[in-house]
Amino acid sequence: MLRYLKLYRQFLMFSFSRAFEYRMDFWFRIVMDCLFYVVELIFFTVLYQHTDLLGGWNYDQVLIFVSGYLVIDAIHMTVFSNNMWWLPIYVNKGDLDYYIVRPVSSLFFLSLRDFAANSFLNLLIALGILTWSILRYPAELGAVNLLWFLFLMANGSFLFYTLQMLFQIPVFWTHTNRGLLTAFFSANKLMERPDKIYSKWTRRVLMTIFPALLVIALPARVLFDGPDPLIITHILGITGVTFLLMRAFWNLGLRSYSSASS
Amino acid sequence: MNPSLFLHIAFLETKKLMSYRIDFWITMAVNLVVNLVILWALWTAIFAESGEDIIGGWDLPGILSYGVMVFLTGRIVRGGDLQMTVATDIYEGALSRFLLYPRNYAITKYAQQFGNVLPDLFQSVLMGLIAIPLLGLSTTAAVTPISILMAIPTIIIAHLLFYLMGLIPQYVAFWADNVWSLSVMLRFVSMLLGGAMLPLSLFPESAQQFLQLLPFVYLFEFPTMVILGKVETANWISGMANCLLWCLIIGALSIPVWRRGDLRYTGVGI
Repeated sequence: MLRYLKLYRQFLMFSFSRAFEYRMDFWFRIVMDCLFYVVELIFFTVLYQHTDLLGGWNYDQVLIFVSGYLVIDAIHMTVFSNNMWWLPIYVNKGDLDYYIVRPVSSLFFLSLRDFAANSFLNLLIALGILTWSILRYPAELGAVNLLWFLFLMANGSFLFYTLQMLFQIPVFWTHTNRGLLTAFFSANKLMERPDKIYSKWTRRVLMTIFPALLVIALPARVLFDGPDPLIITHILGITGVTFLLMRAFWNLGLRSYSSASS
Repeated sequence: MNPSLFLHIAFLETKKLMSYRIDFWITMAVNLVVNLVILWALWTAIFAESGEDIIGGWDLPGILSYGVMVFLTGRIVRGGDLQMTVATDIYEGALSRFLLYPRNYAITKYAQQFGNVLPDLFQSVLMGLIAIPLLGLSTTAAVTPISILMAIPTIIIAHLLFYLMGLIPQYVAFWADNVWSLSVMLRFVSMLLGGAMLPLSLFPESAQQFLQLLPFVYLFEFPTMVILGKVETANWISGMANCLLWCLIIGALSIPVWRRGDLRYTGVGI
């Protein structure tokens, strides 16, 4: 474990030094993510000009929900996104060889190697928006609810990564996963809306088969309605199953991988 | 560039894109299902929870029609995913090859972009045929043969405008190491301010007036309103003229950026 932490520290140092080499891109990306946050907030603000409730949530609650989603997106952009981008390229060019021969888990190495230093600043901004939305909330949220929410949000980030990996891994067989990835990003929109707007059957699908609602919508429910053991067990259970499934799929992919280089 | 060469380049691009047919169908199926599910869930919830029959001038079937149509026309206007090709040509030196050709670079790239639209056009028509019968009848919007005929040139010009708007951020690649984020920023802004995320009639009155002055409205909302039969002939003609004017302004703005960038460009090999 310590060996992996030391390795991750090296990843961080390397990523920060590289990010500062391309300063213009560094700032462009920060502005881009801030713009994304503004667009998301304006979207819901305009909707609430025409209704007081959406999926049973008022504007103050939706602000916390959206801010939570922005934090999860920022974590993903910071920690995983660049690595996800490179994976199909490594597989197709045969560069994966360099990673699978190393004496560390290839999944760990390929998922965490490239830390997006510029997005890290955006993560701080997203956390600021979340803090602001919680502080302006007119009622008492309760420390226990808040702690569960933060924990389940971290779990949501991990689940989000796991789900994207499930859409990435077929590249071992298909050689292009552009369609699958487009489908994944399209399906992501499902998690950006309050869970209660969906019909019963859609919710069931989005809580089990493609568990998008477990990423942030249900953690937000725990924050507002209190920690329900059934919901928490469900979220953690599905996350665990999805991760095990992804790991098995990854190992299967590695077995199918045929090197393209010498 | 003569029209036959333009079409030849466009069809080459279409053929290239159609090499990955599984991608093509997966993208279409997931996009359609996800968008219909979200549209239906979001707007039925809003209409139910607000207790209103009309919101921003739309009834429920009308706003669903808007959501589906803006999604379908938006796919054609954005024309696939060729947003980074100009920047990639600059970074990888492929631009050298184009500079040697006796053809205008921007027009050649537009021909490629145009070819990239054809699969999206096919998908959009197919998705429209599936989705429209599911939406029900609206008192606030109606797709008619005339509105479809009016929408065709509107979408073509909107597509040209979107292409031209994307050129300047990509030309920044002559100076910057990575301009992907600029293209994404343009997409975020144009989607929100152009009405791709929400009808602009839902924005506050003052914001609506301001948004009508920007070019983004001609990318998504205007073609969608035309196809839904919500634009009268006189307004359609003036809207088309405004859209063309924006094309001229943005095209003219891109020329000096290209010339300055071209002077800085160095490429090795062809």
